[in-house]
Amino acid sequence: MLDTQVTATRLPARRRPRRSWRSPAYAFLLPGFAVFTLVMVYPTAQALLISLQRWSVSPYQPSKFIGLANYATAMRDPIFWRSLANAGVYAGVTVPGQLILGLLCAVALKAAIPGRTAFRIMVYIPVITSWVVVSILFKYLFQTDGGLVNFLLHDVAAVVPANIDWLNSRWLAMAAICALGVWKGVGWTMLIFLAALQAVPDSLYEAAAVDGAGSAKQFWHVTLPSIRRTMVFVMIMLVIGAFNVFISVSLMTDGGPADQTQVPLTYLYRQAFDFLDFGYGSAIAFMLTAVIVAFSALQFRFQGADEESAA
Amino acid sequence: MTRTSPSKRRRQRLVLTTRFVVLSLASLLSIGPLVYMALISFKENAYSLTGPADLTSGTYSLANYAQAWTAGGLGVSFLNSLGVALLTMVAVVLLGSMMAYAFARFDFPGRRIAFALIVFELMVPAIMLVIPQFVLAKSLHLLDNRMGLLLIYIGTNLAFNTFLLYGFFRGIPAELDEAMRIDGAGAWRRYWQLALPLARPALATAAIFSFLGSWDEYVWAMTIITDPTKRTLPLAIALFSGAHATNWGLTFAASVIALVPVLVVFFLFQRQLVGGITAGALKS
Amino acid sequence: MKRRRLVHALGVALILGAFSACAQSGAAGTPGATATTPAGVTTITYWHTYSADSPEVGTLENEVIPAFEKANPGIKVKAVTIPYNDMHQKLITGVAGGELPDVVRADIIWVPELANLGVLEPLDTAMPDFGTFKDAVYPGPLATNAWQGHYFGLPLDTNTLVQLYNPKVLKSVGAAAPASMDDLKALADKLVKDGKYAYADNDLSGWNTLPFIWSFGGDITDPDVTKASGYVNSDATVNAITFLYQLYKQGAIPKFITQSGATQTNDGFAKGQYATILGGPWMYPILAGSHPDFAFQAAKVPAGTAGSISVVGGENIVMTSASTHKDAALAFVRYLMSEDAQTTFAKVGQFSVLKSLGDKMTSIQPYYQTYVEQMASARPRPATPAWTEIDAKMKSALQEAFLGNGDIKGALDKLAPELDALLAKYN
Repeated sequence: MLDTQVTATRLPARRRPRRSWRSPAYAFLLPGFAVFTLVMVYPTAQALLISLQRWSVSPYQPSKFIGLANYATAMRDPIFWRSLANAGVYAGVTVPGQLILGLLCAVALKAAIPGRTAFRIMVYIPVITSWVVVSILFKYLFQTDGGLVNFLLHDVAAVVPANIDWLNSRWLAMAAICALGVWKGVGWTMLIFLAALQAVPDSLYEAAAVDGAGSAKQFWHVTLPSIRRTMVFVMIMLVIGAFNVFISVSLMTDGGPADQTQVPLTYLYRQAFDFLDFGYGSAIAFMLTAVIVAFSALQFRFQGADEESAA
Repeated sequence: MTRTSPSKRRRQRLVLTTRFVVLSLASLLSIGPLVYMALISFKENAYSLTGPADLTSGTYSLANYAQAWTAGGLGVSFLNSLGVALLTMVAVVLLGSMMAYAFARFDFPGRRIAFALIVFELMVPAIMLVIPQFVLAKSLHLLDNRMGLLLIYIGTNLAFNTFLLYGFFRGIPAELDEAMRIDGAGAWRRYWQLALPLARPALATAAIFSFLGSWDEYVWAMTIITDPTKRTLPLAIALFSGAHATNWGLTFAASVIALVPVLVVFFLFQRQLVGGITAGALKS
Repeated sequence: MKRRRLVHALGVALILGAFSACAQSGAAGTPGATATTPAGVTTITYWHTYSADSPEVGTLENEVIPAFEKANPGIKVKAVTIPYNDMHQKLITGVAGGELPDVVRADIIWVPELANLGVLEPLDTAMPDFGTFKDAVYPGPLATNAWQGHYFGLPLDTNTLVQLYNPKVLKSVGAAAPASMDDLKALADKLVKDGKYAYADNDLSGWNTLPFIWSFGGDITDPDVTKASGYVNSDATVNAITFLYQLYKQGAIPKFITQSGATQTNDGFAKGQYATILGGPWMYPILAGSHPDFAFQAAKVPAGTAGSISVVGGENIVMTSASTHKDAALAFVRYLMSEDAQTTFAKVGQFSVLKSLGDKMTSIQPYYQTYVEQMASARPRPATPAWTEIDAKMKSALQEAFLGNGDIKGALDKLAPELDALLAKYN
């Protein structure tokens, strides 16, 4: 993702040692991949098996293999589809929001500016606070009576005639949840963009300046193309994160009122850990994964990403 | 330095002012809710989050910090979290960068499928892995054990950080690698002396993320840790929530304490994210 | 230079990490459930949900357990706090992994579910003296332990909701505490004009609505908990919910009743925004802490056509079948049920389940008086493993009706067969 040279892709193809089972790559790969396989891949395979069963929590009670029945149930479950749509809306708002604001902060913080470290820390602070704490905080901020947001909108600025009932309907509640998502995520994207911007050679900016390009032009013609692959990476990670939104929804609305703000993770958590239907919960999880895989594949394609990284 | 005309200088000042305004605004919005949280943390008996008007009334003191530290056993939890998070960070940065280097610099049978698995695991909701991971930890005798935390944290943070570092390693021009190879440098030397130094901003980023990924983790820790002496900080903080009411003053005081180490880690590593260094190295 | 700094930082991190790992490794590797120390001392593990800053946890660790250990040399109790919100998930994961403690203080609504999973020991067969305990406790809390003909636990502490009222607000309109639902309605009509709420609650789950449903003579299921049709959509239940809905529609109940606990009512109650709420005994220490000057009073739940019937809350004590120290665990259970332990806990706000202590309760805490009276008619929520799901479905249906067209009857008619299907799974 870190195109150190804009022209890099046009240089002769990188040469690598030929494909071989004796590649030194295996030595580099092995320790990490062993841990990864043990604690991620293997449990995922187990979860996949659970999704094919009417799975009993108790090991002493029989589970029943039911094929794809859990998946079929999800296909017919309107709340599942609504949860997916809500996550889609959340992604549609928070991904561009975090991307644009994070990039803005990164560009503004790349070069020397008085108080740079302080600014960086302040923008990053929301990232490091726990999701639980900030979700409770935002729930309070968006409370109908006595919440800070309504206090500002109604009592101070007087732009709304009455207190807004934020968490009591689908779209207003989603707006509040999205606000939290963007607020918490800007520092994260900023940090990655900061790292990527370090690798853009100053010579490119100097050359652009000689050509008479102003700051805006330099941004469009130097900065953006140079970090294109970082953009793809960040977007994919943000989309994954958005579809996996959980704690904020769980604590701010608990999927309510009347299941209007369910997202896939709150819904599958409820099915699995509250109703003990782990088979159904796992099926929802893998359907969600399928959706994310499809989205990411599209992104790789449309962004013209490094074709090899789409392996 | 090239000479600048007055109009150019004016424009530069405008750009600087704009940057300053944008950053001030962003910073204010970022820390606003946390200032509120910090204010509550000094209030005693804050069983309900009160409105802006109430913030000025009531007594302010450090009592919550003292009580959180002693009653909640925060000291032990703090050390547990610190140990696990630091080890996770070191292991993830090392193993993740090795994996990323393998994917970025070599072609080998199984490369595509291994990489696809890593990206795929990023997309699977972690919450559904809790029960299989719990059964796994049990069979490894790692329940109620900090090694059980460490193992899972390394595994869960590896995928993301490998993916992150992979992109950065790909950005290092192959010519440099090639030149070192021709000079007779082995793969390990090229990784250690070329790739790692050049990817320093990325490694710093991975260090920050993997530290935070472990420091902040709640669900898995709650699932396997029972013994009070092995609790991590998020677990200790959660214990202030009651079934009927939560003392927000205590909870927020503990949360403020929890911020400190992450801030330190961020502060140390963000210095790696300073413009111009890598660019210079790459030009040579 | 820069690179050295990074390596340096990582190095410091590694050393620190290794150091604290060494510091930790001392006590690693003990499995969660039970352990026997070399001295022949049996250690039992006890999970509870008292929050870390609560007086109960101090009482448990500094008074009750030491007293038990003194009376039972050879048994040590390891008490572990689990946050209430996570206890259910922790128990369920423990079931799946076969890793449970010996004794659990479980919310009364989880007992049928855990019993159905086969992880609890039926206490009526495990304890030869079960009958003595059974006769000593209130029947309402006891019933929450029953599942398929056995008792899988004993009530440990109990509570119920009573009406708490703000005398100042009532005085402002010259009203007394509403004794009946009609009084509540009349109060609502008066207060609405002043922009105040007669009643406030922050959820529509069974815990919140059942005092109304039962007081109106309605119910959610039949007495045997086998079906919901004809009960959850009976005229009486519809009337009860409609009563709440009309207050809500009229502006006599704050809108946040359709949110899941988004707003805590104690602050608005103390500030005089609402005249009445339903609250448990825990409200006393909370309000004393947050609003020390606020003098509120208690009365029974306003009576409906069927009287004043509130809902039983509290916790049960259960023993797992996987416990390898059942005798020691039962000794601890017996001790927690003793008058000594129950009295000690009553002093820190835990209402005793022992009938014999009923009179003593008010001398320990005068405010227990209303709870003692209310307890006489209070009822437990339906004892079924399906309760969590029934509760979630019903809450969602009511939220939809409140926020939508207000067709309570239609919503409950639609809900009834869904609940029947859930109940049928366990019959």
